[in-house]
Amino acid sequence: MNQVRVAVLSGFGINCETETMAVFEMAGASADRVHINRLVNGEMTLDDYHIMAVPGGFSFGDHLGSGRLMGNRLRFGLRDQVKRFVQSGKLVIGICNGFQVLVKMGLLPGDDEVSLTQTASLALNDSGHYENRWATLEFDPNSPCIWTKGIKRMRAPIRHGEGKFVTNDRKLLDRWSESGQLVVRYVNPSSEYPNTSDEILPYPISPNQSWRNIAGVCDPSGLVFGLMPHPEANHSTWLGATWTRDIAEGEHGEGEGMAIFRNAVEYAKENLQ
Amino acid sequence: MGTVTPVYIYEVTTREVAGLTDARGDAIKAMLASDHGVSVGKVRVILGYQVRANLSKIEAERAKHDLFTDPIIETASLDNPLLNNQEIFQKPPDIVIQVGFKPGVTDNAGQAGKDGLDTLFRNLLPEVEVATNKTYLFWDVPSNVSASDLARKLHNPMIERAAIANRIDCQRSNWPSLEFPDRPTLDQATPAIVDLEVSDEELIEISETGLLALNLDEMKAIQSHYRDPMVRKERQGLGLHPNAPTDAELECLAQTWSEHCSHKIFAAKINHKDTETGESSTIDSLFKTHIMKPTLDIQKEVSWLLSIFHDNSGVISWNDNWSLCIKAETHNSPSALDPYGGAMTGIVGVNRDILGTGLGARPIANTDVFCFGPPDYSGNIPEGLFHPSRVFRGVHAGVRAGGNESGIPTVNGAIVFDERYLGKPLVYCGTVGLMPRLLPDGRESHVKTPSPGDVIYMVGGRVGFDGIHGATFSSLELTEESPSSAVQIGDPITQKKMIDMIIEARDEGLIQVITDNGAGGLSSSVGEMAELTRGANLDLSVVPLKQMGLSPWEILVSESQERMTVGVRPDDCAAFEVLAELHEVEATAVGTFTDSGAFVVRMGEDVVAHLPISFLHDGCPQLVLDSEWTPPIHPEPILPDISQMGETLLRLMARPNIASKEWWIRSYDHEVIAQSVIKPFCGVNHDAPGDAAVIAPIHGQTQGAVISNGIVPRYSDIDAYAMTAASIDEALRNAVCVGVDLDLIAGLDNFCWPDPVESRKTPDGRYKLAQLVRANRALDDVCRAYNLPCISGKDSMKNDATLHGEKISIPPTILFSLIGNHSDVRKAVSSDFKSIGDQIYLCGESHQELGASELSYMLRDESAGKSGIGGRVPEIDTTRNLAMYRALTGAMNESLVASAHDCSDGGLAVSLVECCIGSDSGAEVDIYSIMSDCNQIDAWGALFGESLGRILVSVKPEDCKTFESAMEGHACYALGTVESGDNISFYNGGERIFSSSMTNLRSAWKRTLDGGGQ
Repeated sequence: MNQVRVAVLSGFGINCETETMAVFEMAGASADRVHINRLVNGEMTLDDYHIMAVPGGFSFGDHLGSGRLMGNRLRFGLRDQVKRFVQSGKLVIGICNGFQVLVKMGLLPGDDEVSLTQTASLALNDSGHYENRWATLEFDPNSPCIWTKGIKRMRAPIRHGEGKFVTNDRKLLDRWSESGQLVVRYVNPSSEYPNTSDEILPYPISPNQSWRNIAGVCDPSGLVFGLMPHPEANHSTWLGATWTRDIAEGEHGEGEGMAIFRNAVEYAKENLQ
Repeated sequence: MGTVTPVYIYEVTTREVAGLTDARGDAIKAMLASDHGVSVGKVRVILGYQVRANLSKIEAERAKHDLFTDPIIETASLDNPLLNNQEIFQKPPDIVIQVGFKPGVTDNAGQAGKDGLDTLFRNLLPEVEVATNKTYLFWDVPSNVSASDLARKLHNPMIERAAIANRIDCQRSNWPSLEFPDRPTLDQATPAIVDLEVSDEELIEISETGLLALNLDEMKAIQSHYRDPMVRKERQGLGLHPNAPTDAELECLAQTWSEHCSHKIFAAKINHKDTETGESSTIDSLFKTHIMKPTLDIQKEVSWLLSIFHDNSGVISWNDNWSLCIKAETHNSPSALDPYGGAMTGIVGVNRDILGTGLGARPIANTDVFCFGPPDYSGNIPEGLFHPSRVFRGVHAGVRAGGNESGIPTVNGAIVFDERYLGKPLVYCGTVGLMPRLLPDGRESHVKTPSPGDVIYMVGGRVGFDGIHGATFSSLELTEESPSSAVQIGDPITQKKMIDMIIEARDEGLIQVITDNGAGGLSSSVGEMAELTRGANLDLSVVPLKQMGLSPWEILVSESQERMTVGVRPDDCAAFEVLAELHEVEATAVGTFTDSGAFVVRMGEDVVAHLPISFLHDGCPQLVLDSEWTPPIHPEPILPDISQMGETLLRLMARPNIASKEWWIRSYDHEVIAQSVIKPFCGVNHDAPGDAAVIAPIHGQTQGAVISNGIVPRYSDIDAYAMTAASIDEALRNAVCVGVDLDLIAGLDNFCWPDPVESRKTPDGRYKLAQLVRANRALDDVCRAYNLPCISGKDSMKNDATLHGEKISIPPTILFSLIGNHSDVRKAVSSDFKSIGDQIYLCGESHQELGASELSYMLRDESAGKSGIGGRVPEIDTTRNLAMYRALTGAMNESLVASAHDCSDGGLAVSLVECCIGSDSGAEVDIYSIMSDCNQIDAWGALFGESLGRILVSVKPEDCKTFESAMEGHACYALGTVESGDNISFYNGGERIFSSSMTNLRSAWKRTLDGGGQ
């Protein structure tokens, strides 16, 4: 396939669309800013794209719960388009507020039928407030997730007030764990890889006290992926939290976060029409 | 409406699940303990939604599940108080307090609820109304704390209502329940005529009772305008009263001529005397003489000053493709009355200044600098004021919400504490904007291109009763009668939608002229742009309103937020409206630009104001003021014995002005847009303070922009000249620390002064005005020397509060902000020491300058005033400093510098501790070289003095020789090395002065402002 096309959603308080477009372009795709109402009014259609990205932001100010109102716009306003997109084997990512949207609309952790039934949520951080700090993430090597293939660890900032991944049925956690859906977790940066733990790590290693230190999940197919941290904010080495200590002159280049977007663009190139 | 539409009441709370806490309740509990010393057992929070909508019972149930409740983590009720549910609340609470907004106050969550209902049930709007509230449940409240005590701490009666259930009510299950906040119906007043053919006393009374903030000369200038036979004749022809202004005209003039909008003190003629030198001179406008002139002179020498002084912000060319603009505003008075709403409207307001620059710039970075009373203040608080810790928390929450929700990173800032900010906190909000040099249609983006005939659109929010008289109110001192209508809450999401839409419209070439609706509302925005075409017609009857019944003058001057005014060519109107609809932004054609020479305002058919453009903009008479400078005399500080130095440093690290602000800064998004190179935090544990911010806003490119701030109000107590010079030097020093390109730097001057006009209320006006004169002279001298043009600025001149006869004036305060170029961000330098064994150098000269230092203030506070603040305030030597800065940035360009950190508050010792915090290391330094090289300096002066032009750097051992030769000819002292372990040790000629534990210093530094928990 010649060109991988990415629809980066925008509007209503989404605010990371510029950098999300930039990272897909750096990974070799072409990215369009797509206002959600352009999909609703038929001016544009998701059918023209291979990847849909729901960027971070503060859609509707996080009122009535982060991601809920935007999730409803997608769940009720674009239900058929979104289902068709996912069922046709295309790729979806939700970052931060975008992840909250995908969880609230039931696309993540999701099910084989794409029934859009909510089974998990992102509660207020235990600290009770918004925070911006860098976290170290570890990825499940056995996950079916397309987006995270081959990635062991990554550093990325978290920037959220509601990122504590929870569910009302703890048995689901075991099921998701077995199916490799608990794909990204907060980890102690000074530990040796691999080192994920189900015990909640102390603050601020786990910035929000998420259950099982979950930072992001994928759906059973591995095509739909979402996470609270912002890999797109680590697109270049000079954006790291401690780059002035870690990166020697002449070593500058692509940042750790780019691997996620490259995985998706490569997959789309090879597998999608 | 209202009588037949049902109101549904939804209540939502966190579900009882193991491993899930009610984090909202926990945060309230922590806040009560931290800010008020009140320790309660447990707090729970219930979110309430009152929904007035034509929903069936079934639909209302559906909204509960699909909209108001998160089915996984929340539990909810419809029309049945959750407090009655004993499965959730087994033990009844001791106290319950419900807090909701007063009628007419912006309720963003309510707006979101309305939008959510529209997604579920199309065609419900516009009749639906949603009001939100929060119910706080308390258990185990100390018996000496009453329900009303708690209620006072949880709501601001200026904008909120509280309903209370005390201990007895709770036993009887008598739960609080607020009424639906119906807006009171307003009676639209018919346009009135104001008779100005009255005595001088009555003219003053008209100004005072109308909150016009006009003085007698100004009132008389208006009076004589309406005596002009030509004016009278013209008015007769228009059907207006020929001899007197309408209320709308008078209000419009008051807004345009307000101190806030027209900077009358900076434009005044000042007779200046200096009793020390015998100088007696006249200054015709401080602004023209000391701010505009130097910048215009610099503009002749450089090519990158694109737009200065005439737009909403100054614009510089950053490279061939992009330009940058910057603006800072203050929002002091509103923040005193409602810290949250005042600060939030401050930040989203200055974002609109950027959006309204040229043909529209995109805001890409915010800066927030606050001045508060001490957070641990234990003295008397005059009634009508909040405790500084509450102001701090509210202001912080307001800019956090405003910045974060708008998707604009807060990249740099400062927080300064002084008792004199008790009356008026200072809330400086700054924003940097980015725009392409050329638009797709070939126009230069920094030039507005209006023509007569262009259609005037009001875009964004609606006009309401909130925000009337903000501009004139901020031009008055704060009193207990200050109006609540001057206070507003921002709506960042409405504004974000508007920003998205405006930037798209700009790129499609649909915008000819744009400005924001801030102070003075439409009267200012349309009035100012009308100056460009020489006229405008405005019809108030089509302006969308939040509530019916506003009088024409109220619609004209209301400062309701989130609005831009845009001029669009008639051919482009259809496309402009389509874009607005797509983004769900309201855009209404409210008039046209003309070349008639007049600003004509109608209400439907009736003319309600007709103001000649020349009179509106040039008719305000120049003030004539007197100033007189006599230097103050302060006793010298009483320095402790040198054996006390380690202990002194420990206490200094815990001073609020020096202590870590990490808890507060972390809750600002400082990295959105993915451009953040040098962040507010650096170091191995991400907790050491950064100096300037560096951003690389074009993704994938390595050219950067540097943003920094300088503020040292303490020095005004000795000399406002020194204060200003130090502020500019601090901003530049911070920028130098990260490696700024010194050939492309621009500044912003932001003055906050106590009223400097001599009067009965201000008997020391001449001195305060002399301080202003001296500050301006410093600005002139230093900016010229540093080749640092001021491209934009602002002044706020009435920062006094008089409450029950007690007057509190702020210390004269300048915030100097800087924006500069960074040629290659990969060479940017951070403040943390990098490796054990690196050599530590101090660049710049140290002198015995402890006057007004943080150390002197600490010793004064600890001795109840016996120890003085001294007389030797740091002096500036711009030539010496600039030469050193050039050498140092040159060395950074050669990658010779491992770390660089500014020496400012607390001097060298504090700076060194901060560098060690960043590397989790210790250090050994010997100050002998500083002592031997500078006359009359002692160890206190060397370690705690705040001499300007000093930067503490570290260098890898292998680079030391090259570094030293790069710095040849400049003061640069090798002090010692970065050491492993916990000790930081200070020597003088090999003899140890003291040694301290970094663990202790770090924890003292972190504890003071830890925000009440994690």
